[in-house]
Amino acid sequence: MTAGRSLLALPMVLLLLGGAILPLAILVVISFWSVDFDAFELVPGFGLASWREVLGNPTYPYLIGKAVLTGSVTAGLTALAGYPIALSLLRVPQRWKSVALVVLMTPLYTGEIVRIYAWRLVLGTDGLVNGVLLGLHLVQVPVKVILFSPVSTILALVYDELPFMTLALWIALERLDLRLVEAARDLGARPLTAFVRVTLPMTSTGLCAGALAVFALSAGDLQTPNFLGGPTGATALASIDNFFGTAFDWPTASALALSLLFALGIVAAVASLLILRIGGGAVRTRP
Amino acid sequence: MAEPRAGGAGAPVLLSARGLLKRYGANPPVVAGVDFDVAERAFTTLLGPSGCGKTTILRMIGGFETPTGGTLTLDGVLLGDHPPERRPVNTVFQSYALFPHMSVFDNVAFSLTLRSGTGDVAAKVRRALDAVHMAEFGDRYPSQLSGGQQQRVAVARAMVAEPRLLLLDEPLSALDRAMRAHLQRELKDLQRRLGIAFVYVTHDQDEAFALSDTVLVMNAGRIVQAGAPEAVYRRPASSFVAGFIGGATLLPGHVTAVSEAGTTISTALGTFEAPGHPGLAQGMPASLVLRPDSIVVREGGTVQAAVRHVTFMGQGYAVDAEAQGQSLRFAAAEPPRIGTTVPLSVIGDRAYVTAPA
Repeated sequence: MTAGRSLLALPMVLLLLGGAILPLAILVVISFWSVDFDAFELVPGFGLASWREVLGNPTYPYLIGKAVLTGSVTAGLTALAGYPIALSLLRVPQRWKSVALVVLMTPLYTGEIVRIYAWRLVLGTDGLVNGVLLGLHLVQVPVKVILFSPVSTILALVYDELPFMTLALWIALERLDLRLVEAARDLGARPLTAFVRVTLPMTSTGLCAGALAVFALSAGDLQTPNFLGGPTGATALASIDNFFGTAFDWPTASALALSLLFALGIVAAVASLLILRIGGGAVRTRP
Repeated sequence: MAEPRAGGAGAPVLLSARGLLKRYGANPPVVAGVDFDVAERAFTTLLGPSGCGKTTILRMIGGFETPTGGTLTLDGVLLGDHPPERRPVNTVFQSYALFPHMSVFDNVAFSLTLRSGTGDVAAKVRRALDAVHMAEFGDRYPSQLSGGQQQRVAVARAMVAEPRLLLLDEPLSALDRAMRAHLQRELKDLQRRLGIAFVYVTHDQDEAFALSDTVLVMNAGRIVQAGAPEAVYRRPASSFVAGFIGGATLLPGHVTAVSEAGTTISTALGTFEAPGHPGLAQGMPASLVLRPDSIVVREGGTVQAAVRHVTFMGQGYAVDAEAQGQSLRFAAAEPPRIGTTVPLSVIGDRAYVTAPA
């Protein structure tokens, strides 16, 4: 019975093995190779040159740290924005919930490039924001720091990934017994206290799922920082792309990719343990 | 009664509702403008079928629903739209709503940790758990407790906040019969010992009678009778109350005479004289309420009834009989044989003439 049911997971296991574990193993192998730039060939072997480059040159740890920071800040901001949205979705009448779901997913229906150019139109020197600021005489010259800065990158990433957070929180909140919140209020908790002490821990699994998705998607986003970050838009991914492509330095690309993966994995694991700890008994004692 | 009741006439009023109304959209009101008082230290029960508005009243007192109209006054202060956390009222929720991510101790300590100057939290929690016989369970989580134990923790959690008024929403409905009877006694003891006013919601009239000083019987958003359990049982204000309280036979008819001695009602089974509800007058439609002990088998009885079922009840027999298409239920010390016809007599003193629903 149990064995039969586990067999159903077999295709997925094979896909994971073939689609993720195998390529990763190849990356590990290649990261120890070297490149003969005269012949423009990969030379198999066992050397530490690429690892020395990635870990020794401060640029790459900086870029990896930046990816972690971008992912964390985006996850945090989407959680802050997502909870109020998900809480208000709870009050939507049942038959309107499917409509709400479609609306919620809107950012995902438009292509990333379309969204990026839309942001440029809104945030640019001749854009909507500056138009309003100039029109109201709040500024005399267009504000240039909005576009091509970490602000615009984070803003666009939050907008892009918000559906993943909101959806995860919404599902978790739908499973929350609202009488628990009423009980907290009844016992003297103000709305914010009731949220922190009951709603948040009781939905920590949803928060964790949403945060992991947003963290991975935004830390691993190439286009948004590239097109909206301007001079601040350098990312580890862009470097990897560059090494694999133009520079034809596959060993360094592999070492950098593995380092990034390792760093993101560690941060994600530690963060989810911390988030689930907020839930305490809620996770293990769900009836 | 073996002992005086709390909250009799003249007891100071703790909570009063005037014209309390709750309506959702254009639907008929859930609570249709009710007036009632809850006395200090009294056990008051809202009794009625599901959907009658009793839980909505409780939720308005607790601050979880905003009244559409009318007022609630507690200790002479208008409750208005104060949120739940600003009311000196606590609730024991149906299905308890214990926080599953907190231990029993943390559940009970919850209200104390929100306020400063609450003194020794641990000692207060221990005392509250002691009062409900749960002292050894502080480290457990709610999911590790039985229904009865969860109910006790919910009571301790609400009591520890020292409310002026405790609201209980069908707190025993999820429990089996034996546990329910046991916890009824515990709740009543606790209420008497602490001297806190309870407002209790139930659809179970046995529970209401066992616990209450005052019963407010509700139907379709209105309070149809308010009084001590004996009064509600013996002198139901309408055939709805008589029927809902259960065990009664109702004979429809009309009033033919009203005098000092009693009210005379003419029914399909004959004319009977019994105490009548105030306000009944000659010619009005009415119902004769017959309890199992209002009917006896007697030579010369005027009602000829065919015996349909006989049920052994321990102390005697419950007999279901039929006369002219009207079913009658009465108590008998000796079981009549099924299928035979017996002469029945009504004991007027134990019957009651009430208004139709």
